[in-house]
Order: sequence, then structure tokens, then C-alpha cells
Amino acid sequence: MAISLTSFLLPICLFISLARTATLTYDFDVAWTHANPDGQYNRPVIGINGQWPIPSIVATKGDQVIVNVKNSLRNESTSLHFHGLYMNGTTHMDGPVAVTQCGILPGSSFTYNFTIDQPGTYWYHSHVRGQYPDGLRGPLIVKDPENPFKGQYDEEVVLTFSDWYHESMPKLMSGFISIANPSGAEPVPQAALVNDTQNLSVKIEPGKTYMFRMINIGAFAAQYVWFEDHTMRIVEVDGIYTEPMDAEMLYVTAAQRYSVLVTAKNDTSSNFAFVGSMDEDLFDVFPDGLNPNVTGWLVYDDTKAKPEAKLIDSFDSQFDDFTLVPYDKESIYSNVDQSITLDMKMDNLNDGANYAFFNDITYVAPKVPTLYTTLSTSANATNPLIYGYNTNPFVLSQNQVVEIILNNDDPGKHPFHLHGHAFQVIARSEEEAGAFDPNNATQIAFAATPIRRDTVLVRPNGHIVLRFQSNNPGIWLFHCHLEWHMASGLAITLIEAPLTLQSQLSGKIPQDHWDVCKAGDVPVVGNAAGNTVDVLDLTGENKSPGELPAGFTGRGIVALVFSCLSAFVGMAVIGWYGLKPIEKKTK
Amino acid sequence: MVQIFAAQVFFICFRESLETSIIVSVLLSFLKQTLSREDEKPVYRKLVRQVWLGVILGLAICLIIGGTMIVIFYRFQSDLFAKYDYIWEGVFGFIASAIITIMGAALLRISKLRDKWRVKIAAALEANSADETSSGDTGLKGLKLFGEKYAMFLLPFVTALREGLEGVVFIGGVSLGLPAASFPLAVVCGLGAGALIGFLLYRGGNASSLQLFLVASTCFLYLVAAGLLSRSVWFLENYPWNTALGGDAAETGSGPGSYDIRQSVWHVNCCNPEIDGGGWWGVFNSLLGWQNSATYGSVISYNLYCVAVGAGFLVMGLREKYGGWSVSRYKGKSNTRVVT
Repeated sequence: MAISLTSFLLPICLFISLARTATLTYDFDVAWTHANPDGQYNRPVIGINGQWPIPSIVATKGDQVIVNVKNSLRNESTSLHFHGLYMNGTTHMDGPVAVTQCGILPGSSFTYNFTIDQPGTYWYHSHVRGQYPDGLRGPLIVKDPENPFKGQYDEEVVLTFSDWYHESMPKLMSGFISIANPSGAEPVPQAALVNDTQNLSVKIEPGKTYMFRMINIGAFAAQYVWFEDHTMRIVEVDGIYTEPMDAEMLYVTAAQRYSVLVTAKNDTSSNFAFVGSMDEDLFDVFPDGLNPNVTGWLVYDDTKAKPEAKLIDSFDSQFDDFTLVPYDKESIYSNVDQSITLDMKMDNLNDGANYAFFNDITYVAPKVPTLYTTLSTSANATNPLIYGYNTNPFVLSQNQVVEIILNNDDPGKHPFHLHGHAFQVIARSEEEAGAFDPNNATQIAFAATPIRRDTVLVRPNGHIVLRFQSNNPGIWLFHCHLEWHMASGLAITLIEAPLTLQSQLSGKIPQDHWDVCKAGDVPVVGNAAGNTVDVLDLTGENKSPGELPAGFTGRGIVALVFSCLSAFVGMAVIGWYGLKPIEKKTK
Repeated sequence: MVQIFAAQVFFICFRESLETSIIVSVLLSFLKQTLSREDEKPVYRKLVRQVWLGVILGLAICLIIGGTMIVIFYRFQSDLFAKYDYIWEGVFGFIASAIITIMGAALLRISKLRDKWRVKIAAALEANSADETSSGDTGLKGLKLFGEKYAMFLLPFVTALREGLEGVVFIGGVSLGLPAASFPLAVVCGLGAGALIGFLLYRGGNASSLQLFLVASTCFLYLVAAGLLSRSVWFLENYPWNTALGGDAAETGSGPGSYDIRQSVWHVNCCNPEIDGGGWWGVFNSLLGWQNSATYGSVISYNLYCVAVGAGFLVMGLREKYGGWSVSRYKGKSNTRVVT
């Protein structure tokens, strides 16, 4: 008789919950515009739809996102990478050129279509060599209706921190990788920005708690971040919720994110500064007049003055993210199925320029994007040889525990990022600790519930150990997120579960992806050299410059021998002349 | 040990004084043996004075210039010398090489014409200035005559000037990291060692047959000149490289990046005569032009020079033997005041 309420309500509830996952469509027209964010220099920047800073992408967990990119740059290709999103089943939407797609040429269009199942703070940026610091980077926020900290804060505020250059990237890049820069000194930025400006005021109401989602969208400089007189409570890093921990100062490397809760004071008698201070340790020079800090203000009362940031004595109070514990308390992956050791170094090749190496190989993009090699080589896709020498490929089997041991043989601080996954940070050594030694008891005393994130710092001449599960078939780059080092080849390619990938994606790559390859004359079948007949034959693949000769080459020996010979001959003639008497001629 | 004896400073001083003292001792020994007769004593003394005057004046001027450079460096924080270091070395090395080349040939030739030359030189020096003005020599010819007359002065002067300037600026301005107490002993030892070798050469030269001594020392002088020319070309080739790197190529050490691979014929990551005083490789560089990083220019110029010198002497020898230029023609071409 009367229809039961539940049987009536239930379908409605289901309908509502289904309806709550939306499809967001963004139409991005990428083109040059102008901007002067630090007030010092008006320069061309890459904007979207005529605006810069570019728009944020804001989604809710479960949403499908469609980004239609039109390249109106006229002089550069482009692509977009959604940093931190795992792209489950959609590795072809991940973004890095020559890895999962071809570059989107000027005039071409390309659609990214993926579903986001992970909440947190992310960002999106160009993944064409050296392009995003020219402005093509912005926040990507994924809201979570089931946020464990829901109710503990009143408002969300997004803060992006960045370094800023006055010169444009193509010029800086050609000066960086060049025979005239043999030590590989990275260009020093001219300014620091917060939310792409330098005089940010954040309106704060007394007694409220704010969640600051902080993202370092810079090219190079890590930033120390602190709020004067306010403590930060860390609740999320790189999309992973953490057990709340208090911090006075954060060290945020390029590409890392932190969400922190900050409780406002109860009175409005003054405003407070917060600071992003660039880490100058990697700066080659310290030009006069460079201000490495950017100050913003928590404004309680906008009639009161905004105070200058106070000087601090040291950065010692920086928070060590290694001590964080993930909210889900996932325990350490203890049975490692595959372990990859990466020895990192910087060195010169025979074009005189400085390059970066993993296991003596510097990354050079292949002729055929790696994903398309996997899709077109059937059973051979599990053979790492076909992906080329300089792509530094590693094939992973599905659903295994994979470990990466990275030994940093360089006195620099490097932030390393893995596409497609968050990894457990098993170990991070102090500076100068040298390579990881599995027999050293202190080095293998791992935490039981290590923090997970997707971008992690390795200390100078130290090491890190990372573990993740290969449960996401795809082609994933692992690389240094300092844009200069990415360009000098500090990357490896992980080919995860290639056969599963074939069954997932064969025939499913959208036509516009193939169209941009056609427009650029990029081959899309075969091995890294484009060879479809014999995939083990890599003749013609893209290679790095050769090594410098380590001493006398043939030409040098010939030159030295010849020089000695001519010296002896010369002396013999002098001797003959000198000892020979002059015959007197009679006239 | 480094507190009282700075090795880099020792090697710099040793190198500089060695080159200078070799040239001085060869000239002095030559004079001593050539002008050994009693009646030539005044000429001999005059020429010896020329040699010493050259050395002393060269040193004095380089002290002045070097001192000025150091003052400018400290007052105005501008390392003038370092900026144009390479050009200075290149140009002066070339001039020095040219002078030694000409002088060497002259010395050898002259020894073969000892008798004729004695008369000539004596007459030349006794002639008063009336002769010079009356012949109306100006410009290039005048310079040539001047050069011939004061050759004994010019060669040591140029050498002392060049070597001394390098040494003074280095010691005065560059080696800031060393304790002051380590300088005196190193300087004295370096200069002393160089002078000692020169002295031994002088004594040895006097003791042996002049002809043999001359041939041996001329060979050595030509090796030095070849090295100087090679170095000169090397410096001029490396000036743009140094500038492109921002002026501190020497500070990048000997490894990759300290040299321009495009110009390199050989390179070894050691044995660098330019850094940290240079050590024994610096001496090797001064005497024979050794570079750990050779360029096409430096190698080719060295070889061409040896070939040119050899060819030049061959031609001279053959002409003497088979005519073309007789002795009298030679006499006629140079100092015109002699009448046989």
C-alpha cells in the first residue's frame, strides 16, 4: 500500500550521492601575456585565457575533470601535468612530453580527461622542458567531504610560494646548459612571491581557525615558511593526511605542499607578518639588492599597520617532515620485491656543458614517447632495452613493493618527485652521510609508520630510501623537481606493468593525442629509435653528448710527439750551423 | 712548514729568476769570452754594464708598475691585472720570443765572425753621436740601429720586466691566504736558487769552449723562445674563454670546465702550471712551454716555430757555404761604421 519511505528515499539518496560527483570542464587557451608581480620588471608570462596568475582548478574528490588545452603560444609547444594525481588508468593524461604524450604544438589542441579520487593540495604545471617557470603553474585543490579535520577549521586559504626570474626561461636555459657554464651554476632568481604577488594581505577574523594550503610552485628555490607569533599545525602533505603535528617553521621544497591549521588570536590589536624565505644554499651568487624574502600579512584589523617581518637568527626551527606520521597509519612495506639503486652525480660531457646523471646515464627524451612504445611493441614491452639507453628505463611488475635507494653524490639539496604514486619515505640521512649501506644498523632502523608523499628532499652527499606499491600501471617519471636539473637530465623512466597497460589503453588513446603527434611529425610506434621492425635495434636513438676523454687522446699523443721531434730537429740544425766554421771567401 | 715557507711563492720566484738569470748568464759568458783581450776591456765593461742595467731597470720598472697595480687593487677593489693578465702574458711573451729569436741568431753568427765583430763593436761604441745624427737615421732604421747598439741592454730589460711583473703582482696581491711570515724565506730561496743556476751556467760557460757553449746555450734559448711563443698563443687563445667564464677559469682547477674543449688538442686533469703557483710544472712551463691543456694554436705555433728556426739556420748555413751572401755582404748590411 504506502510505499515504504526507505525504499523511496534510498534511490533518491543514491541519486544525490551520484550526482555529487561532478564533471568539471576547463577550457584553457594558453598564450603569452605580460605581468610584473614583484613590481620590478614587466615581463612576458604564459597566461591562460588572457589572465595571469593562471586560474586554480578546484574539484571535489570523485570528480571527473576535463581540461581542453589550446596552445596559442605561437613559438613553443606545451603540455600540462597534474602534479601529485595518480592518474589511475589514465597514464596518457599525465602530461610529460615524450613520456606519455607528444608536445602540443602551437595552434593544436589537446584534452586531458581524468577522474580524481584523492583529496588534498596539488598543483598543475607545464611539463615541457623548462617552461613552467615562465608562468604556466597554478594550484589544483581537491576538496574532501569526508575530511578527517572537517570541523576543526572555518576557512581554507590557498598560498602559493614561488621564486621569480626576470629573464625568460629559453634564454636562461641556453645560458645554463652551455659550454660557458661548466660548473652547472643554476641561474639565481630575482624575487620571491606569495600568491604571485608581494603584498598579500589575508583577512583574518579573531578566534577562527584557518587551513592554509601551501604549495611551492617555484622552479628552483625551496622556501622557509613561518607565521610570526602563530603556530602551524600540519594536517596534510602532498595529498596525504597526517597526524597533526605542530611546527614553528616549515621547509617547503619546490613542488611540495603542506596544509596547516592556524588559529587566529582572539584580539585584533595588531596584524602579523608571515614570511616565505628562499633557501639561498643552492644560489651560485648573491647579487646585491636581491631580497630572498617575501612577506604577507595576517590582517586582523586593516586600519592598523602591517609590520615589517622580524629578522630571525637561524633556520634551525625548520620542521623535519620525516617525523610526520600518516593519518591512516599505514605501516611500512616490509617485503621489497624490487630494489632500484640510483647513484646521482653531476659531471661534464664533451660538449663542455654540465649534466646530471643517475647511474652514469643522463636523461634524453626518446624519439617515440615511451608510452607509445609500450603500446606498440606487444610482448617486447617488458624488455627495458627497447625504451632506449638515455631514458634510463626500469620495468616494474604489477602489484609489487618497489624500493628506490637514491645516493646523492652532489653537495646540493634536491627534491625528488615520482609521478603516479606517493611513496613511503623509509629513510633520509643527514648531510654527508654518504651512500646507503644496508649493513649499517643505524641506517636501517626504519620507522614503523613512515610518512608518505610525492616529493621529498635528499640532503647533500646523503641518501634516501623510498618504497611504493606498483599498483598503478603506467609510464611514470622519477626526477629532480629543480627545473634546471630536470633539463640537465636528472630523471629515470619507470615502466610499470607494461602488459596490463597494453590491455588497459590499447585503442583507447583519444584521436587528439595522435593528432598532435602527427602535427609534430613525431613517430608513435616502435622502440625509442622508432624502429618497428627490430625493436632491439636502437640505432638512431637520441643520445646524450659523449664523455670527455680522460687524458691523452690519439690526437694529443701525435701532437706531443711531433712537437718534441720538431724541437729536436730544430736543435740539430742549430747545432750543425753553429759548429760549422765559415769558409772565408776571397774577393 | 707552510708557516715559514710558502711553496707557491718559492716556485714563482724560482721560475722568474731562472729565466732571467739564464739569459743574463749566457750574455755575460759570451761577452767574457768574446771580448777577452786586454784592449777590449773597456768595451767589455760597457756591455756588461748594459746587461746589468737592463736587469736592474727592468726590475725597477716592474716594481713600480706592480706596486701601482697592487695599490689600485686594494684601493679600488678592481683586479686590473687579472682582467688583462692573459693579454699581457700573450703580447709580452710574443715580444720576448721575437727578441730571443733574433738575438740567438745574432749571437751564433757573431761567434763565427769573432774577429770581425770585435772590431765592429769597438768602432761602433767609440763612434760619437755626430755619426748618428749625420746619417739622418729616423724611424724604423733608427730603431733597428738602436736595437743593435743596445741589444745587450734590451734583452735582459724585457726579460726582467716581464718576469718581474708577474712575480711582483702575484706575491703582492694574489697570495692573500698565506701567512706573511712565510714570504721572506720563500722569496729569498726562490731568487737565490734561480741566480745560483745562472751563476753555474756562467762559470760552466767560461770553462768550456765558446763554440760548444754557445751552440748549447743557443739551442736552449731557442727552446725557451719556442715555449714562449707557444705560451703566448695559448694565452691569447684562452683570453676569450676566460672572459666567457667570468674571469675565473684558473680557479676551476684542472678538471672539466677549466678549458675550452673545442680548442683542445690534449688535456690532462693534473700537472697544471697555472694553478697554485704551478710547482715544478710551472718551471717546465717557463722553460719549455708545457701546458696540461694544449690548444691547436699553442701546438701548431710551437711546431711552426721550430721548423721556421731550423729552416732559417739551414738557409743561413747554406748561403754561407755556397755563396749568395758572402761575409762582406753581411758586413755591409749591418753596422755600417766599419771599414775593413
